[in-house]
Amino acid sequence: MLEPFQLPFVQRALVELLLLAVLAGTLGCWIVLRGLAFPAHGAAAAAFPGLVLADGLGFAGALGGFGAALLFALAVGRLGTRRGEGHDTLTALVLVAALATGIVLASDVFHSAASVESLLFGSLLAIGPPDVRLAAVAALVALAATWLLGTRWLASGFDPASAPALGIRSKLPDTLLLVLVALGAVATLSAVGALLATALLVVPAATTRLATNRIPTWQRATVALAAAEGTLGIWLAVELNAPPGATIAVVAGAAFVATALGRAVAPSLRTAT
Amino acid sequence: MSARQPLLATENLAVGYTNGPPVLQDVTFTANPGQRIAVLGPNGGGKTTLFRALLHELRPTQGTLTTTGRCASVPQTERSRLDFPVSALDVALMGTIPSRRWWRRPSRTDRAAARAALKRVDLADRAERTYGELSGGQRQRVLIARALVQNAQILLLDEPFTGLDTMSAARLEELLRALADEGRAVLIATHDLEQARRWDRVLCVNGRQVAFGVPAETLTHDVLAQTYGAAIVTLPGEDPAAPHHAILPPHHHHHDAPPH
Repeated sequence: MLEPFQLPFVQRALVELLLLAVLAGTLGCWIVLRGLAFPAHGAAAAAFPGLVLADGLGFAGALGGFGAALLFALAVGRLGTRRGEGHDTLTALVLVAALATGIVLASDVFHSAASVESLLFGSLLAIGPPDVRLAAVAALVALAATWLLGTRWLASGFDPASAPALGIRSKLPDTLLLVLVALGAVATLSAVGALLATALLVVPAATTRLATNRIPTWQRATVALAAAEGTLGIWLAVELNAPPGATIAVVAGAAFVATALGRAVAPSLRTAT
Repeated sequence: MSARQPLLATENLAVGYTNGPPVLQDVTFTANPGQRIAVLGPNGGGKTTLFRALLHELRPTQGTLTTTGRCASVPQTERSRLDFPVSALDVALMGTIPSRRWWRRPSRTDRAAARAALKRVDLADRAERTYGELSGGQRQRVLIARALVQNAQILLLDEPFTGLDTMSAARLEELLRALADEGRAVLIATHDLEQARRWDRVLCVNGRQVAFGVPAETLTHDVLAQTYGAAIVTLPGEDPAAPHHAILPPHHHHHDAPPH
């Protein structure tokens, strides 16, 4: 039963997923708590043309992807605030524009359409050491940022109007959260691709939120769930010869539905604190 | 600190937003230790703007503002996210943020201060309860605890009695009285005229200061008419010589701060 995990490329994929589980547990909870799920999805989609551009021009894909995702995240954060509107409309516009630009660049400019599928849906079983290193860096940065800025992210999200009176007058902590969203989105691309990044960054945290009521408990539960979903997903993908990114997304979605149904059937279930 | 020295004093204060006309002007009043001051005015009349100026979030465009004690804001509980996974203790701990370097986590001393503040507002036994699951009155007291953690000598409360039942309102009023008796100045934005009559001073604003003084001399029909305009109504009382006044409730609530 555990045979697939004896294969080196599966072991490497598993290490990648465990590192991304740490990212999902720390950053993912802030994304869900601060209502950044759609911008996180948009940041991953925005990375797509950056990856195509990097591939075509011959520089590091992570650099191109991160640059595009960062540009998107900061623009959405700034324009969304200045207009006094939510992020949704702008995010949707940029998401469509990013996908269209990426596909045009890949098919008509750089003629690299063959790699579009792996960029959009990931290629978990073909990742290399740079991808693992990027996941490790993103996980460490998310942990450090949570340690340093967590109380400020919590306070400014809890009552934005009172944040200045609490001494949170700088926009820097919230801007750094958006930078981290961009970094997290790029770190997940090799595993699940631009279109399925939220399967790791959002769905596990949204699932455990249904059963937890304190930030530390929530984050620890999300790390454990994302690790379990990733492990099960990659095992299923190898056993069934299915695409690993999509399989992990299906497992994560199923876990969310099962948890939500469980809560609906037994609403008296006590949430963990 | 001398009991005679005001904690807060303004002189011809005018405040507004960037590139705009003053939202509030000609404000001259003092807040002494132990005083409870009702701030009356219609929605959009400048109450929130005044509080933001006292918190140094807005710079005076004219006049002076002098504070010798720290100001802390106690907003309406509806402005906070009730779905957040935070306990009453977590919320009280947010009051330690101004005194901490940005890279520092809450220390044991901070936690002890937050627990002491919750005890001060009679919520020691609710410290671990989820904030959103507390009653409206309890949530308001948690936010007061957050202000106390900031060692604030001046408390600015924005319509704290809105939505509270009679018992909770009475308990909150008693708490505010006790906090003032400890030497703090307590400013309460409110529309409740009957309650305002029980405070030490009343400040009426409507784009400018209409009046400031003790309730018995300040809450006259003329002052209220200038403050609230057509929203003020006169109700017949038992004594025809001393009719009651009431404010017609606004159709919808909004603050006077412009959109960001």
